[in-house]
Amino acid sequence: MAVSEQAQPVSGAVKGRQRRAREEELLVWPDLVFIEFIAAVLFTITLAILAVMVDAVLLDRANPAVTPNPSKAPWYFLNLQELLLHMHPALAGVIVPTVALIALGAIPYFDTSNEGQGEWLSTPRAWPNLIVGSIVGFVGTMLLIFYDASSHVRLYEWIANPGTSKFLSNGDLNPSFNGWPESLAFLKSLRSIETELNWPDALTSIPVGEKILRTDLLGLPAIPLEINVAKVIVEQIIPVSTMIGLPILLSIVAWKVGLAQTKRDHMILQFSGFIAVFVILTIVGTFFRGEGLELVPYTIYSHG
Amino acid sequence: MATGEQPPGQTLGDRLYDFAFKNRVWKSIFRSGYPNTPRNQMLAVATNVFLHLHPTRIHRTHVKITHTFCLGGLSFFLFLGLTITGVLLMFYYVPSIERAYGDILRLETDVRFGQLLRNLHRWMAHGMVLTVLMHMMRVFYTGAYKPPREFNWVVGVVLLVLTLLLSFTGYLLPWDQLALWAITVGTNMVGSAPILGEPNRFVLVGGFQVGQAALIRFYTLHVIALPLIAAIFMAVHFWRIRRDGGLARPL
Ligand code: HEM
Repeated sequence: MAVSEQAQPVSGAVKGRQRRAREEELLVWPDLVFIEFIAAVLFTITLAILAVMVDAVLLDRANPAVTPNPSKAPWYFLNLQELLLHMHPALAGVIVPTVALIALGAIPYFDTSNEGQGEWLSTPRAWPNLIVGSIVGFVGTMLLIFYDASSHVRLYEWIANPGTSKFLSNGDLNPSFNGWPESLAFLKSLRSIETELNWPDALTSIPVGEKILRTDLLGLPAIPLEINVAKVIVEQIIPVSTMIGLPILLSIVAWKVGLAQTKRDHMILQFSGFIAVFVILTIVGTFFRGEGLELVPYTIYSHG
Repeated sequence: MATGEQPPGQTLGDRLYDFAFKNRVWKSIFRSGYPNTPRNQMLAVATNVFLHLHPTRIHRTHVKITHTFCLGGLSFFLFLGLTITGVLLMFYYVPSIERAYGDILRLETDVRFGQLLRNLHRWMAHGMVLTVLMHMMRVFYTGAYKPPREFNWVVGVVLLVLTLLLSFTGYLLPWDQLALWAITVGTNMVGSAPILGEPNRFVLVGGFQVGQAALIRFYTLHVIALPLIAAIFMAVHFWRIRRDGGLARPL
């Protein structure tokens, strides 16, 4: 574009500082409008090619009587559907996304400094924080998913008992061989903490509605509420502590080793971690949840 | 022609130029002259209702593609494209559980370019979710949410939610197995919220399961309510970019 031709004579009233800024400016017509036009044309062509080559899917007519296995939400919600497998549905389906969106919206109110404004990753430790945050988020989430899918158990059994077990799929285990130690059964997955430990009845069925919150004494309907401490720990306390604790831990470690020193550093670290978690959850939910939402490779739209 | 307006009647080119751009009709539509002088170029932007979303001048770093990768602009472009293809799709589609699926089948087989139309709408919808997410990332990594742009970031988060809801409500409309069960899974998530979850799910779906009531609700949200709200928020978004002094720049 003819940049120099556009330089404008500036009136004397304009102050020196503004004058410098003016000389750095271009006219929107033609420079920006031209780029926008080209971008729109290129994008239109790409989309047209895509639309000619790949048809949008249309499966059989909707039938409420036939539930496909697996049933999946649209891809951008599969991260939440993946969370659903690991924690209480209210947490995964509503509380986590709500808190995440509020936290996202609150970013500018936490990080109010002007450093690094208006330029790509221009603060000193921006890139290291981006990379570390992304890797930790990605790998950490993957490890948690593997843990909850008992992959470590399968890995152990596969190594300790070659031939009787498969690693990648839920192969039938030979019942006679010595698998994962019985005493460590509660470490098989998150749920095993509830199912494999001997929780006393007093803790697994606390009759809150019947004995503690006696609303019936006030003439109100009784609340049929029974608390299972083991369930609460597995479905709520551990997931919440993990989701809050690990990011905080990451920030503290990054701060101690001098990686994250300013607010912007911490923001980049946390945001990159968040994006990485979002991406890996979406990928796993889309491509690695098959029948019964087991952790197996899955081809999308392969089922009727 | 960089020197400005030509004296009339010189060469054939000049005569054609005058004929095209200096007649009453042209001048009644575009009040400024043809944008071949800096003055007219600024007027072209400032006096045109569509172009005046822009400032007349812009800092040179913001014209570099790698600063924005055009992602916000492309999101808006996709929104416009979705509106156009969406209106065309509405010609062929009736939101009733008896007809919807058949309408889509007929659109694909009987309507000229019908399949292409549907494909375009579908890919643009997926594309918009992607471009909006990537736009958010570019705004974050260029530190463009910092004061005074805090509120525009919040408006952006609202736009992100609206984009997802637009896509989600559209997902049900073909009324195939994919649509029904994706929306069933999705709305069940809403239902799992403490206390108000189930009532909310009931209102959204219009019943205990996804059926005719859900279809008409999602359709109405998809074709009128959500696009209107999104358009309003986009107007605020663009207005705020101007008010906040254009795109963010290092201090
Ligand atoms: C439908 C969705 C959206 C549309 C159509 C849209 C459109 C735009 C456009 C055209 C720009 C001008 C610069 C550019 O192209 O990058 C812009 C800037 C901006 N957008 Fe968005 N946007 C959307 C969503 C979002 C989201 C999700 C966020 C953040 C959460 C956001 C935050 C911002 C901010 C803070 C700016 C100013 C950037 C700067 O000063 O450099 N927008 N938006």
